[in-house]
Amino acid sequence: MASTSAPGGASHPVIFTTESPYSLPSQKFMIPLDWKRYQLSQLVNKALSLAKPVPFDFLVHGEILRTSLGEWRTEKGFGEEDTLEIEYFESVLPPQRMTTLPHKDWVSSISCRIPQHFLTAAYDGHIRLFDYSQNMVRDVPAHLAPVTSVCVVPSQGSIDGSVVVASASHDLTATLTRISLEPDAMEPYQALASLHLHTSPLSSIASDHSGSYLLTASWDHLIGFWDAKIPLEDEVAVETGDRKKRRKVGGGAEAERPKRKAPVTVLKSHTARVSQALFDPGSTRKAYSCGFDSTVRTWDVESGVCMDTISVPERPMLDLAITPDGNTALASSTDRTVSVFDLRSPSLSSTTGTLVHPSTPSCLVCSGTRPNPSNDAPLTPASAPQIVTGAYDGIARLWDLRSMKNAVASFKAWDGTMKILSVDRVGEVVGVGGEGGVEVWRVGQGDRVLAK
Amino acid sequence: MAAAKRDTVRAVQKKRKERDPEEDQKDAFPEAVGLEMMSDEESHGGEDDGDVESDEEVDQFPEIDARSDSDSDEESNWDEEGEDSGDDDGDEEKRTLASAPDSDSGSDIHMFPKAKTIISEVTGHPKRVYPEIEPDYESDSSTEDDPNRVGDIPMHWYDDLPHIGYDINGKRVLRPAKGNELDRFLETVEDPNSWTSALDKNTQMDKPLSPGELDIIRRLQLGENPDAGYDPYEPTVEWFTGKGKEEVMPLSGAPEPKRRWLPSKWEKQKIMKIVRAIRLGRIVGSKPTTAGDGPRFFAIWNEPSSTQPPPLPAPKPSLPTHAESYNPPEEYLPTETERKEWENTDPEDRERNYLPQRYSALRLVPAYDQFIKQRFNRQLDLYLAPRIQRTRLNIDPNSLIPKLPSPSSLRPFPNYRSLKYTHTNGQVRCVSVSPDGAWVVSGDDNGIVSLWEVNVGHEVKRWALNSKVGTVEWCPRTDASYFVVGTEDKLHFIIPPNLPLAVLRSTQSTLAPATLPPVTQASVKWSSTPGIEDGVILTIFLPPTSGLPRQVTWHRKGDYLASVSSSESQGGVWIHQLSRRHSQAPFKKIKGAVQLVLFHPIKPHFFVATQRYVRVYNLAEQKLIKTLMPGIKWISSMDIHPSGDHVIVGGYDKKLCWFDLELNDKPYKVLRYHTRAIRSLHFHPTYPLFASSSDDGSIQIFHGRVYSDLMTDPLIVPLKILRGHNVSDGLGVLQVKWASKQPWLVSAGADGNVIVWCS
Repeated sequence: MASTSAPGGASHPVIFTTESPYSLPSQKFMIPLDWKRYQLSQLVNKALSLAKPVPFDFLVHGEILRTSLGEWRTEKGFGEEDTLEIEYFESVLPPQRMTTLPHKDWVSSISCRIPQHFLTAAYDGHIRLFDYSQNMVRDVPAHLAPVTSVCVVPSQGSIDGSVVVASASHDLTATLTRISLEPDAMEPYQALASLHLHTSPLSSIASDHSGSYLLTASWDHLIGFWDAKIPLEDEVAVETGDRKKRRKVGGGAEAERPKRKAPVTVLKSHTARVSQALFDPGSTRKAYSCGFDSTVRTWDVESGVCMDTISVPERPMLDLAITPDGNTALASSTDRTVSVFDLRSPSLSSTTGTLVHPSTPSCLVCSGTRPNPSNDAPLTPASAPQIVTGAYDGIARLWDLRSMKNAVASFKAWDGTMKILSVDRVGEVVGVGGEGGVEVWRVGQGDRVLAK
Repeated sequence: MAAAKRDTVRAVQKKRKERDPEEDQKDAFPEAVGLEMMSDEESHGGEDDGDVESDEEVDQFPEIDARSDSDSDEESNWDEEGEDSGDDDGDEEKRTLASAPDSDSGSDIHMFPKAKTIISEVTGHPKRVYPEIEPDYESDSSTEDDPNRVGDIPMHWYDDLPHIGYDINGKRVLRPAKGNELDRFLETVEDPNSWTSALDKNTQMDKPLSPGELDIIRRLQLGENPDAGYDPYEPTVEWFTGKGKEEVMPLSGAPEPKRRWLPSKWEKQKIMKIVRAIRLGRIVGSKPTTAGDGPRFFAIWNEPSSTQPPPLPAPKPSLPTHAESYNPPEEYLPTETERKEWENTDPEDRERNYLPQRYSALRLVPAYDQFIKQRFNRQLDLYLAPRIQRTRLNIDPNSLIPKLPSPSSLRPFPNYRSLKYTHTNGQVRCVSVSPDGAWVVSGDDNGIVSLWEVNVGHEVKRWALNSKVGTVEWCPRTDASYFVVGTEDKLHFIIPPNLPLAVLRSTQSTLAPATLPPVTQASVKWSSTPGIEDGVILTIFLPPTSGLPRQVTWHRKGDYLASVSSSESQGGVWIHQLSRRHSQAPFKKIKGAVQLVLFHPIKPHFFVATQRYVRVYNLAEQKLIKTLMPGIKWISSMDIHPSGDHVIVGGYDKKLCWFDLELNDKPYKVLRYHTRAIRSLHFHPTYPLFASSSDDGSIQIFHGRVYSDLMTDPLIVPLKILRGHNVSDGLGVLQVKWASKQPWLVSAGADGNVIVWCS
């Protein structure tokens, strides 16, 4: 290209690389030292002669360029003659708040997996379904105690216009509920089954990508592995003497009472509260879990054997996420970090990095972690895994795994005064649930926009 | 010599005294006989005496000379000479001294014969005339015959005998009749002379004292000379000088004797005798004292030189530099600040003892101003004069800081505020964390008891008890789950929601069994009727007016709990047993107001903290084991280490005392780190951590490691100060509790916030 000549002043040799569709021919550029991101982005735009300008961010040695090139060079002590390799990608646009969905009580879990809908679980025991126009479609009193986690069970052969939702609660059970999406359905919701295993409040529930299996994690150190079939008969006998519960749960006819399910396998290895259990994105046999015993465990669920344990000292973990390719695990812990584990590396006990937060990161989600098959949008290869974390200081942060020092972008939900308890992301829509209800934010992501 | 001479004089006097009677008589005779002679002595005796003396001397000298000539008996001559000369001197002295007393001695014995002064008919001068003495028996007392002739013996020898001695004829002298005491008293009254009479030993009778004796006594009492005739102020008698006494001619016209200028022959003989004796070896000189010490002189260079290396030569003084020049270059001159700094430092601390100064010429350099001071100091040095010397301590202040491990190596400990739970109004006095570490119960002054998750901070359930909550405490049992809330005069037992069925049943059976044991005690009532709020399954009604329970503490097995009420009149300590539904007051009478109680985690011991002391009782043997003296004016909080061997006690006077129970009754360590009163203390059940909270709004986290080895002292390291609570009404953080399984701390503040601190 023509821009090899330096326009006066000091300059530095640079090679641009990218994994985005906007690739430049590999050629050495002499970049003036006082250039910043904006000039570089303009350069790339000009070089590609794009019709519509696309902002880019530049990654130098695993760090997003925030200063001028010269300042960066003096700070790092980089040699003047050495050719610098700069990777660029479409920059994240400043997040924008789209809607707020007020709740009476705290929202413990949010799922965006139902197309055009948000599914929320609140501490008042209700599961609510909202559409994108802020209308509450359904309000399901699924539990008497706070619901801690909710997930959508993708069912292939389900009745059209309804989804099966699994929720875990403080009342020691998880339930499967069928919720009709149609606004004037005859039967808006139906409790299908209740899962009985745990003796302590449940912390999470998750389903695999096919929707045939479920995992529950609980405070009693156990993980339950369940199939998603609805049994015809009770698999667990009704506990006698628990009249109060039966009265409240049953109430009506015997037939309407949800069937009581028993687990397929119980995974026992954790020595403290299990906070999250997830399936591997591409498999139904493999699962991961994390807990307050500062371990991330890999399970072979069918045999119920803990295959691997990653142990970090004194880092009780609150949430876990797996990148879509299944190679990286991220776990947020109470010491205000999110640890990144490389699951492929033979030495599993080492973390590859940490994302440091100023407050407790309570939840995190990896883009495309829990794919919804009904979503037609093809998953891009996990070229740029982006992570959204929510913390107790009310700030949700967007991270790029290539640059772990600083968050790429951050936004304050509820003006940063209330805790974030749950985040979920599908595409560029990020749902944030917490103390103040639910907020929905749009996080621009260039390649995804283009892919559509 | 003088002393020796005096001795000889005395000896001679003694000898002379033996001969005294004759001389006395001789002396006395002219006195007694010839008054005129006395007058002669007075008037003319001067010349005579002088003549006599000079004559005697003149006579004596040739005598000495003659003796010195003789070789034969020198020693005896010496002696005689000495004696003679002594005699002479003594005679002279005697005479001069004794002249007056001799004349007076008679008058001492007799009544003083009064001398009359008359004008002499012969000379025309006034003269004393004494009355004539009749030479009969009465005139001399020595001739007076004493009836008792026993002599001078102790008269008490005759005490047992009827007589008191013998007279001159050998006949017994009988003891004079003595009246009884009354007679003697009457005598003393009647006889006007009795007070001037004294007992005569020889006659054993009272004899009146003569006027002369009385006069002597009077003089002695007055401190005067006892001699009445002695006149200390006698007029001068002009003997040789004065008017009319001028000596026109010398006294003697004799030529000067040869001995005045010739060497003495006998002296020479005497010396020659000694010389001869020395030569012959008869006289040996005394040995020299330093004889054994070796030769007095020796050659100091004769010794072989020592093999040691020679002492190092003194270092050469460094040569003067430019700065010491009288006209140094500009850059050596001190600036104003340097000069001030130099002047302000002590002379001992100065880097150099001078200031560079500039003079344009050497002749302008003044005299050395330190000269006198230095010379003075040098002389003080030479005299080894002690002076105050300031000892400088070159101690690195960092070395005084005890070596403690760095806090970062002692992770994990809580270091940031994870979340905050707010009671909307009212102070939160008490907080408790469930045994599984998942739930927190907090109670505020408005009677609101909240149950919420440690990790999320979401309130799950709330109970309104309509009375100030003094304390909440979770039961340590794992098979049952409930907690106690202490309100005014009551203890409520509450079951949290969402329990597994098995736990719920065992809890219910514990708190509200189907068959109630018989009610035994009237003062404390147990009531299982469903109370004011859902979940309150059991209420203990403490005696009325016992006030707000200040503290409830569980025994580790969860069957016993002890409560301390705030009213100080009744002691207020109760121990409740849940299985028997029975309450008892362990102390009938206790000294001081009980602040806190604690169960020992292993042994059946019971800790009672009163205002000043912590007493440890053995509940099984029911006796006092020991008393801990923290030295705190008012104890506010106390906790015991999970091992049971260590106790920490905090006070309202900011002190935190760590007790090693095995070690001492006195604190092992006293920490004064808070700026206000300490409110609460808590040991972590599993991690080696403890926390203290204070009215200054801060929480301090300590690493308190206890070793099983008894020889190693506990390690206490301050780790972190957590600030986040606001001080309201002078109250800060009222209670801190650890989450049991994680290094997380829950703190309740007077500002209505309950904060979870995470690592």
